[in-house]
Amino acid sequence: MSFGNIPPLGSIAAVRPVYLIVMGVFLMVIAWRLAKTTEGWTARLLVAGALLLGFGYTILIPMYEAGRIEPFSRTGHYHGSPATALAWHAVKLVIMNSGWLLFGFGLALHAKIFTSPTPRRNPALPPAATHEFIT
Amino acid sequence: MNLLLEVAIKNGALFDAIGVIGLGLFGVAAVRLSKRYQSWGGTMMAAGAIALIVARLFFILAPHFVNFNFLAAIGPVGNFVIELLPPLLLTFGLAGIVWGLWGHERWLSEESR
Repeated sequence: MSFGNIPPLGSIAAVRPVYLIVMGVFLMVIAWRLAKTTEGWTARLLVAGALLLGFGYTILIPMYEAGRIEPFSRTGHYHGSPATALAWHAVKLVIMNSGWLLFGFGLALHAKIFTSPTPRRNPALPPAATHEFIT
Repeated sequence: MNLLLEVAIKNGALFDAIGVIGLGLFGVAAVRLSKRYQSWGGTMMAAGAIALIVARLFFILAPHFVNFNFLAAIGPVGNFVIELLPPLLLTFGLAGIVWGLWGHERWLSEESR
């Protein structure tokens, strides 16, 4: 009894899409939690990048690995429709690359690599004791 | 062909550059996080980003220099390495980034507690 082209369970070909899906979901969840601690454009860029990457890693790349989408070929020979293959290739290019750009930019803002260092000041005076007995 | 599609496919290098720049920003940010805030997740993210950049550069550059002569010159071991290493780097790079992000997020939440 044969099951067609399904790779055996536990082989790299079978595990890799699952691994990618798990990683993509984790990436989205953690980026969401990270974005909750920040605000403004940092959070927006982080979440936008994570959503793009999550879509890429949970849907696009597993579909490629599973053979549901025909990969782009330089020689121009396709089994299915060349237009579909080209369109998916364009989608993949845009999503994966802009996803990394947005996510990287968001993390860069989160790490504050674009802000100038704070000017050096005199050390703050020690705070006055709050419970001071006035005698 | 649709103009937009044509631009996207023919200027593939543009999008590849965008991705590599984004990963570079990610790596710099991760190094900054690990250095300034002593967050171990930052180190992990930086390692993951470097692995991803290396693998991505290989995939971008490989069609330009990997040909039959090159494969014959590096021998069977080099052949094996060149076939096995980039997917491995991609896999572990992604794992490093996600793990580092998780560690950093946990570190942040512990810090604010």
